[in-house]
Amino acid sequence: MKKDDLDLAIIGSGPSGLAAAVKARQKGIKNLVVFERDERPGGILPQCIHSGFGLEKFKEELTGPEYANRYIKMAQDLGIDIQLDSTVLELGKDRSIKVVSENKGIRTYNCKTLVLAMGCRERARGSLDIPGTRPAGIFTAGQAQRLINIEGLMPGKEAVILGSGDIGMIMARRLTLEGAQVKAVLEILPYTSGLIRNEVQCLHDFNIPLLLEHTVAEIHGEYRVEGVTVIRVDQRRNPIPGSERFISCDTLLLSVGLIPENELTKMAGLAIDLSSGGPYVDELMETRTPGLFACGNVLHVSDMVDNVSLEGELAAEGAFLRINDKGYVSGGIIDLKADSGISQVVPQRCTRERDVWLNLRVRDPMGKMKIHVGDIMKTTFASARPGEMIRVKIPKKALQELGPADTTLKLRCEEV
Amino acid sequence: MNNEIPVQEGYSGEYDIIVIGAGIIGSMIARELSRFQIRGALIDKEPFPGFGVTKSGMAQIHSTDFCPPGTLKGKLCLDAPAKFKRLAGLLDVTYREVDELWLALESSQIANIEAAKERGEGHGATGYEIIGAERIRELEPHVTEKAVSALYIRGLGVIHPTEWSFALTENAAQNGIETYFNTSVLNIQKAENRQYVIQTSRGAFKTKSIVNAAGLFADEIAWMVQDHHIRLTLRKGSVAILDKSVSHLVRHMIFGTFSETHSQNVAPTAHGNLILGIHYTKTDNKGDTSVDREGIEKIMKLARELVPALSKRDIITSFAGIMAGNTMTGNGDFYIAPSEHAPDLIHVIAGAPGLTAAPGIAELVVKMLSDAGIELEEKKAFQEKRKGWPLFSAALLDKQKEMIASNPKFGHIVCRCEQVTEGEVTEAIHRGAGTLDAVKHVTRAGMGRCQGGFCGSIVLGLLSRGLGIPPQEVTKKGGRSFIAEGAMGE
Repeated sequence: MKKDDLDLAIIGSGPSGLAAAVKARQKGIKNLVVFERDERPGGILPQCIHSGFGLEKFKEELTGPEYANRYIKMAQDLGIDIQLDSTVLELGKDRSIKVVSENKGIRTYNCKTLVLAMGCRERARGSLDIPGTRPAGIFTAGQAQRLINIEGLMPGKEAVILGSGDIGMIMARRLTLEGAQVKAVLEILPYTSGLIRNEVQCLHDFNIPLLLEHTVAEIHGEYRVEGVTVIRVDQRRNPIPGSERFISCDTLLLSVGLIPENELTKMAGLAIDLSSGGPYVDELMETRTPGLFACGNVLHVSDMVDNVSLEGELAAEGAFLRINDKGYVSGGIIDLKADSGISQVVPQRCTRERDVWLNLRVRDPMGKMKIHVGDIMKTTFASARPGEMIRVKIPKKALQELGPADTTLKLRCEEV
Repeated sequence: MNNEIPVQEGYSGEYDIIVIGAGIIGSMIARELSRFQIRGALIDKEPFPGFGVTKSGMAQIHSTDFCPPGTLKGKLCLDAPAKFKRLAGLLDVTYREVDELWLALESSQIANIEAAKERGEGHGATGYEIIGAERIRELEPHVTEKAVSALYIRGLGVIHPTEWSFALTENAAQNGIETYFNTSVLNIQKAENRQYVIQTSRGAFKTKSIVNAAGLFADEIAWMVQDHHIRLTLRKGSVAILDKSVSHLVRHMIFGTFSETHSQNVAPTAHGNLILGIHYTKTDNKGDTSVDREGIEKIMKLARELVPALSKRDIITSFAGIMAGNTMTGNGDFYIAPSEHAPDLIHVIAGAPGLTAAPGIAELVVKMLSDAGIELEEKKAFQEKRKGWPLFSAALLDKQKEMIASNPKFGHIVCRCEQVTEGEVTEAIHRGAGTLDAVKHVTRAGMGRCQGGFCGSIVLGLLSRGLGIPPQEVTKKGGRSFIAEGAMGE
């Protein structure tokens, strides 16, 4: 049998990867390496200089870089090996990885366990079919954020933002603070797709016009964006002819969705859950391949970093059990299925070994509502929006009370 | 690429031949001319070769089956795949062999493919075979079950035309052809001794002869020498590119039906994506390269008729190109002819399949110049080979290790989607790729699924460093297409 070079390889040093690394080391896993493709650890956090991170995890409000630095410090104190500028090119079905870096060249490792923590990417213009020319001045919100906060460059002076994802709304405020004029934030839905707190603090507090049920009908400008034609849409998101309006601007930011980066996951032969965008996992974030774990935005796009780190810790627990051949699963596996009103659920299955945290999203905005977990429990929430993840805990006890024939729990919600 | 050579006020010397337009045809001609002892120059208004109509086609090297009997283009397309294959070796560029399946989706369409076979063979091409449903399924399991028969043509290919234009231009420059980019032709005047003065945005050139290979703008060049009979007909062709994760669905260039409004085609690209097309619309605007929602819907509908498993969800980008025909030939043929008013000026007005015919066109143009009395004596020192740079993502493990050993920057992945390294990007910049789009076209950095979302700012930094300019002066595609509108606090 092939000897394993590493007990644990973690791909990605964002909030989930770092949390997994810290937890794994605390549990006693020594032979572990974190591979990071960027030149600095922290994933996307170093460019998220706004505050609002860590309220759950550290019980205080931190900026993105501060949140990252807490974990980077912990990792350093624990002597964790974070290899920077190191891209994992290939992930084999046998849990081998091929890594390339400038200073160490190409290396391959066989890994007893692996944690996939590659995060997500932004939807780009190409996949949106926005008509018009192809000038400079079109950015994803995250690209613009990096330009301003890392490179020290202004993407433009007059911006229109398409989509009301969290990064888009945060960038509306950031651009305004830097002296640019944000002429409008357009959202095709009748409600913003990010968090309410961002809508209030980033748009309303700065008097930035929010145009719901609007989209971009055309981009203008040969060399640099010169303006966009915006159009109103009906309830079925079809543009309403005659409602076009030209807004002059030199910049168009896109904040229209995030896509988990699962190229390596697919390479390892894992199927992707089309509703969450990530691989299928159990309550310890183990995929259908034993020893291969996934956590954070690679699994499903979270709106809170604290939750991302928590998933990293769960993955580390799972890896610990696998490395030490501890009884990982007993009793029957239970499938967790999204049912009426619920658009996605992670994890998609669980054991009966421990408390299970479910992450759910509702299909449509709702007032006071109840989430039903099969027939075993229900929880009431004051309201719910697709942009906000709902977390529900199923206690171990409730799972163990299920009969051996109970192999599926359906998650549904109803307004009350 | 001599981007920054200042053109002298007045004349920058006297040339024997100037080629206007560095698209695939102009750069092929320039490279062919570089065999001879002439003083020649290639000028183009774009910052980089192949950035006009060359950039936005299906990029396929066909056989002669699309060319009507008796046409010039039928002659020029003959043996094109073999010519491209040979050039690929010499120029160190990508040529991917792909076979063609032209499907008949109902028995009434079988006559179409039989006619195509006859057409192709009429021009002297070989390798055609009509195959049945079972064989189609063997070759291409994901093709629609409706396919009853197909014209199967082996030994064709796909390329990335911008990469080729760049390589051809480099090879021409290696052999003494001067290249001037960002150089728009403003006027052409006749001077003494049967010479011309070409006024450009960067000064004037004096030359004995001119090749007008200005593509979409060939009519405007022609009008400068009173050839007002030259008229182009324009139509826009829209296409879409899919994520590599679905590339296994299609291995051949697959064709279906053709009409005024479409050429039904699904095919692999040179770099392993799938390309879907072509939806045509009328236009009279040469700059109209926008794609609308309806266009995307049409493209998807056409593609799914051929390969039902294709999905709109996998589109990573879409684009359009303006295709030019002409009114002079009447039957869709190329118009390659001397000017009616200006001696020693040759108009090269192609159209589809201009890419396929490019090597043949270059040979023809050289012959026409020679027939016109231009002295063309072969150089002894002609260097037919040009060296590219290694592609990290395509290299085998040992080669990758060797690359990193020679330059550690080949170990730094800049574009994660296409696995393009800093070594490749830096080399491209050093060799003349001076804009974000030029880097993208010759290295593929930014061409993958995230469309430059992650690598854009890294390439911006490398361009700034490589060109020795502040980042806010780096452009997407020349002109005023600045990426950033200034540094913070300005």
